[in-house]
Amino acid sequence: MITVNINGKEIKLEKAVTVLEAARSAGIKIPTLCWHEQLEKYGGCRLCLVEVEKMPRLQTACTLMVTDGMAVRTETEAIADVRRGILEFLLINHPLDCPYCDKAGECELQDLVEKYGPTTGRFKEKKRRVTENLQDPVIVRNMERCVMCTRCVRMCEGVQGASAIGVIDRGGHSHIEPFSGNRYNCEYCGNCVSVCPVGAIMSRLHRHSYRPWQVKENIETVCPYCAVGCTVIAQVRDDVIKRVVPRIGSPVNNGMLCSRGRFGYEFVGDPERLTSPMVRKNGVLEETTWEEAIGLVAKKLAEIKDRNGGDAIAGIASPRCTNEDNYVFQKFMRAVIGTNNIDSTARMGYAGAQAFIENIFGQGATGNIISGLSNSDTVLVAGGDPTTINPILGLQIRACSRKGGNVLTIGHVRGLRNFSPVELTPGGGRETALLERIVSELVSRKGLPGSNTILESRIKTVVDAAGAGKADVSEKDYPDFIGKLTASGTPAVVIGKDLLQSAGSGYKLFLLCAINYLINGRLYLLSDHANEQGMLDMGCAPDLLPGYRPVGYAEFRKRYENAWKTKISERPGLNIFEMIEAAGKGDLKAMYVMGENTVFNLPDGANVEASMRKLEFLVVQDLFLTETARLADVVLPALGWGEKDGTFTNMERRIQRVRKTVNRAGMEDWRIIAEISKNMSFGMNYAGSEAVFEEITKISPLHRDLTYDEIAAGNVIYPYKGEPLRGAVGEIPLNKPETASDGKITLGIDRVLFHSGTLSRKSPALVKMYSESVARMDPGTAGALSLKDGDMVRISSKSHSIELRLSVDGEVEPSVVLVPNIFEGKGALSLAGNILDPVLKAPAVCATEVTVESVGKVSS
Amino acid sequence: MDIKDIMFSQAAIKEIEEIRAKYPTARAALLPALYVAQREFGWLSPEAYEAVSEILGVPKAIARGVGTFYAMYKNRPMGRNVVQLCTNVSCMILGAERLVDFLKNKYGLEPGGTTPDNRFSLVIMECIGACGTAPAMLINDDFYENLTEKYIDEILEKYR
Amino acid sequence: MEKVLLKNIENPNSADIAEYMSVGGYQSLGKALGRNPKDIIDEVKKAGLRGRGGAGFPVAMKWTFASGDPKTPKYLLCNADEGEPGTFKDRPILEKNPHMLIEGMAISGYALGAEYGYIYLRGEYPAAKHILEKAIKQAYDKGFLGDNILSKGVKFHLAVHQGAGAYICGEETALIESLEGDKGQPRIKPPFPVNVGVFAKPTVVNNVETLANLPYLIEIGGETYSKIGSPDCPGPKIYCVSGHVEKPGVYELPMGTNLKDIIYTHCGGIKGGKKLKAVIPGGISTPVLPPDKIDCQMDFVNMPKHGSMLGSGAVIVMDESVCLVKVCYRALKFFEHESCGKCTPCREGTGWLRSILGRIEAGQGQEGDVDLLLSVAGNMIGKTFCPLGDGAASVVQNFIKHFRPEFEEHIRAKACMAQG
Ligand SMILES: Cc1cc2nc3c(=O)[nH]c(=O)nc-3n(C[C@H](O)[C@H](O)[C@H](O)COP(=O)(O)O)c2cc1C
Ligand code: SF4
Ligand code: FES
Repeated sequence: MITVNINGKEIKLEKAVTVLEAARSAGIKIPTLCWHEQLEKYGGCRLCLVEVEKMPRLQTACTLMVTDGMAVRTETEAIADVRRGILEFLLINHPLDCPYCDKAGECELQDLVEKYGPTTGRFKEKKRRVTENLQDPVIVRNMERCVMCTRCVRMCEGVQGASAIGVIDRGGHSHIEPFSGNRYNCEYCGNCVSVCPVGAIMSRLHRHSYRPWQVKENIETVCPYCAVGCTVIAQVRDDVIKRVVPRIGSPVNNGMLCSRGRFGYEFVGDPERLTSPMVRKNGVLEETTWEEAIGLVAKKLAEIKDRNGGDAIAGIASPRCTNEDNYVFQKFMRAVIGTNNIDSTARMGYAGAQAFIENIFGQGATGNIISGLSNSDTVLVAGGDPTTINPILGLQIRACSRKGGNVLTIGHVRGLRNFSPVELTPGGGRETALLERIVSELVSRKGLPGSNTILESRIKTVVDAAGAGKADVSEKDYPDFIGKLTASGTPAVVIGKDLLQSAGSGYKLFLLCAINYLINGRLYLLSDHANEQGMLDMGCAPDLLPGYRPVGYAEFRKRYENAWKTKISERPGLNIFEMIEAAGKGDLKAMYVMGENTVFNLPDGANVEASMRKLEFLVVQDLFLTETARLADVVLPALGWGEKDGTFTNMERRIQRVRKTVNRAGMEDWRIIAEISKNMSFGMNYAGSEAVFEEITKISPLHRDLTYDEIAAGNVIYPYKGEPLRGAVGEIPLNKPETASDGKITLGIDRVLFHSGTLSRKSPALVKMYSESVARMDPGTAGALSLKDGDMVRISSKSHSIELRLSVDGEVEPSVVLVPNIFEGKGALSLAGNILDPVLKAPAVCATEVTVESVGKVSS
Repeated sequence: MDIKDIMFSQAAIKEIEEIRAKYPTARAALLPALYVAQREFGWLSPEAYEAVSEILGVPKAIARGVGTFYAMYKNRPMGRNVVQLCTNVSCMILGAERLVDFLKNKYGLEPGGTTPDNRFSLVIMECIGACGTAPAMLINDDFYENLTEKYIDEILEKYR
Repeated sequence: MEKVLLKNIENPNSADIAEYMSVGGYQSLGKALGRNPKDIIDEVKKAGLRGRGGAGFPVAMKWTFASGDPKTPKYLLCNADEGEPGTFKDRPILEKNPHMLIEGMAISGYALGAEYGYIYLRGEYPAAKHILEKAIKQAYDKGFLGDNILSKGVKFHLAVHQGAGAYICGEETALIESLEGDKGQPRIKPPFPVNVGVFAKPTVVNNVETLANLPYLIEIGGETYSKIGSPDCPGPKIYCVSGHVEKPGVYELPMGTNLKDIIYTHCGGIKGGKKLKAVIPGGISTPVLPPDKIDCQMDFVNMPKHGSMLGSGAVIVMDESVCLVKVCYRALKFFEHESCGKCTPCREGTGWLRSILGRIEAGQGQEGDVDLLLSVAGNMIGKTFCPLGDGAASVVQNFIKHFRPEFEEHIRAKACMAQG
């Protein structure tokens, strides 16, 4: 126990902290500028100088560690003079444009000058002048306001790990700028904006549109983008989200955000948002009343159900909707329509992979805590760039490297480039051989642990049969890679979607599971949708009821039947691909799509569209008139993120509250469905989303007894009070793929940090960061095809072709063309084929063969 | 094509990789690597920073921050020969300022400037450790001490 | 007194290992390796050797801290940044007697258990770089450096790391940052380099001259060494004298030689028989002295008693023709240029002081400017992160303290009286 005396007050401390922290713990405020709780100690601004007994010089409270018996004074007249002196130094070059500055009201410098009083203008020389920099889409820099606390630089380098900005020159000439001196061209996380104490680095989104004290509401909610589930605070004025900021101390992101989370909120007020239901009349969609639209949907669905049976109808759920929305939707399909035809785009990899992994390791095997990654001694990354798919998770891997951990990657991972990765880039079809070799080598180096006999028998098959040790892998970093992997004590394995969407994905996933088993690691399965996990938890799958109870077991069904007071079909439903196929064949008559753009987000969109056009009746419920909504017979506008309450479940299985931030007329997805249900004589009477959730907690073993209050209090990870997760290991299907033929060009999905697709393309700030889809290709491959950087190219597959600008980029693997799936008419998935992996049932998008040809230079 | 291959000779890349091996971290090789880059191109252009960054895996904004901190890295193009004249106190009181004027009047060489024929650039230095033989200067890597106007004339003759 | 540190430097080949060995070089290393490391530290302690980099810190104490830290490997860094204006004492060692430094480093490395050493050499000494690199190679070839020195199983590797023009890199933590490939900005202490230094390992930083003392110290033994010069900080010392003396240059004399003697006896007095106006005794950061205050022993203990400091032992002598406002202005220009920019008072204060001095010097001074200078300097002193900022402010304070009338006259007359 350490006792210190600050301003006459005795403070007892468990362990040594800085004088500043000790003072704060006792409610004593010491002024600071360069100090920031997210950053390392710095001691540059000198505002926190305090008197310490028995020390001749003044000491900086932010750097000095307390010792037992230390006596400190923080507010003497002499110290006030010192602070005035320091503030005078800071003001000699600071413009006094506070009335015009957006920071006024929350400016740390302003507050300090207000406290210690201004000095008379003794500085007679000219102030430094720097013109405002508006080169960037979302960040505005006013560097003449900079006080050189370097918080932004330390954030960018030391926490975000982007190192996009730096202090240039030295001494009085030192100033902060991005490498180019102009545009940042960075990850646009905006975390520099968060930490700037003055108005030097600010967001452009709300520029001159409000003053901080005009914010009426600070509403804490969860980001709508990826499955990390960052806490965000929406600051609202006049029913408009003015700004989104993180909160220090929040569970997953602890004060950090990525570009999407911070700048991607403008879709909420987008003028193109649907406001009124539409019904197709004489071939055209016309606005109509809710009453008519709901009545029509109820009538048509009832009709088709009567005529063709419930199984002629299918529903597609949404990984962007809340748990409550998805729960009500699947209940509607099962209880009202009477079918298990409910699925989602999770079928594009996540659902199959999760089921596969849980079959081996037990339920919840991928539900590991994200922040734990930074404490791993080794992180193995395969199948994509975590720093773009799940940026805040990516930061934890960077932190792992910074703390001295090993980052091992299979394939080139751009976002980890500066974090000393040991990289194996097998390319082409050799990934499988490499993974087999790693498995064999781990077995021979470490032996089999003996805890999972089924898995081990499969591992033995691979080791024996493949002759894997002999696989042709001549990577120079291989010894280093395998050495570090073998020696690791607290490893983690991070698996991205690129691997799940490649040829032989099921077999590769098995090999990664085997590696994970042999090194005793933790698994992380990346997901790019905010509630992909929660949607699956809610039973939006053709074979699983809420809480992952197999629909085929009568005992399980019984419980749900009792709760819903109706029969549930025992026949598993169609998966999303089977639905499209059935629609194309005319077997499926109607579809209800909630919050999903199937035409754009499934492979071979042209085929999806053609199939869906054959439906007798299509309902699309969405925020925008998407490619899919345009095909609908009835379009139902739902309230979206920011406009409704509910819960999301992130990839850790953390259940978090999503809150209404602005008031909009309209109904939540679940409420629309409940209304239709009522029209179909099945009472669904929920007072609000909380009532829906209550029902979930009664029915899903994972959510048992949970309440909104407990969720709001934080740190709710399932199973909460329910049964422990686990499960018997089932048979492990293996399906070793043929090695892919070399020489052909294949498609790859470019996962762009700034986008998610349908929501992000309606967020102007994100569009400004990345406004045009660009295809990327390595110099060798481009050269062989006589293609040059900037060429307009046509990329064609068996199913489709699109035209894009080409960027020649040394970081792309040979023989691959990377295309993002963001903008209408230019989506990578439109080119993809529909060949499903026999094990994961996910499409091998990345095995799509394409041709690339030049169609001339771009004019613009 | 990587920028390092566009910017550097294979020999220079090899040299930097050898320097890298002398230190326990890649970052520690940054200062010497920037010297190599400067020797190769005469100054540290944005491309030079990018190339060094690529070889060492040090982010380019950091490389540039470091390269602009130190006075001996040149962040703009320089003449073929860099005259580095000390004007700190010991040199100043023994007439260094007169020499600055002399260079300006006779050679049109302003502090921080370059002659139109690109033959010389003038950099004003802080103390170069030749105070006992002041005034002094370095031209490129060579020391010249006890300078006078006449002596400077003779010295500059040697540099083309 | 026979020359120790500058021994043999008139020999044009003094930097060659053969020449160095011909005058007894590397014998002390052999002697040292025959004893146990702790003995060597004790010997240095007995000698009372204090660091020559400016602060005069007891060498044995620093070594004891570092050798006592269990972390490995340990590093020994030679501070060859010699950036303090007026200082050119390390350069002759580096250029003429590199092997004495190398031998000294090998001995210290052995004493404190360091296996790796770097010489952090200022960028402005390109010739020294080539000389040192060649000497290091020779030392490796002869087995004085490497994995198995003199076949005694002792390991010590040495390389030169070239700085790039930043005075602040002379400060030991800034030097470490710079060696790690960063900007030379000082680090928060504690932790001290002896525990967490370069690459987060225990590190000793010693000045060139300090390390070059070791072969001799080991040769004659601590006891005998401690009898040279001032009893409180014994040993030979290199004084470097510049400015208006008849014979400027480097003088190796016993520590504690009187400043007046240095100027008038060793350097032949003021150049051209002019009148002395001011002396800066230990490099530009040390307080200036007027002529009536120079009767003092030049060592770490006595100089503070006379209102100044030994610093690097760089004596700058100024005669009556010198404008002290201008000297002060030039000094502040230096500090402004060299401020690393990390802390507010130094970053903003040096520039502000320079600009006030600039306008006084240019004949545009205003009433009250002298007090303003003192006030701004007062707002810096004791508040900066490292001693550089303090030094800058104290230069202004001390020039005004001793020569205030000249500053005021400058403002009143709007011109320089000294230079007419
Ligand atoms: C601003 C500043 C500049 C310094 N410059 C030098 C220098 O050029 N050379 C040097 O040896 N020590 C310099 N020092 C002192 C070093 O920090 C350190 O004390 C010294 O290298 C230790 O060596 P020593 O114990 O052998 O003296 C400087 C200190 C400060 C604060
Ligand atoms: S006093 Fe401050 S700004 Fe000046 S050199 Fe030291 S740390 Fe840098
Ligand atoms: S002052 Fe010029 S070399 Fe020292």
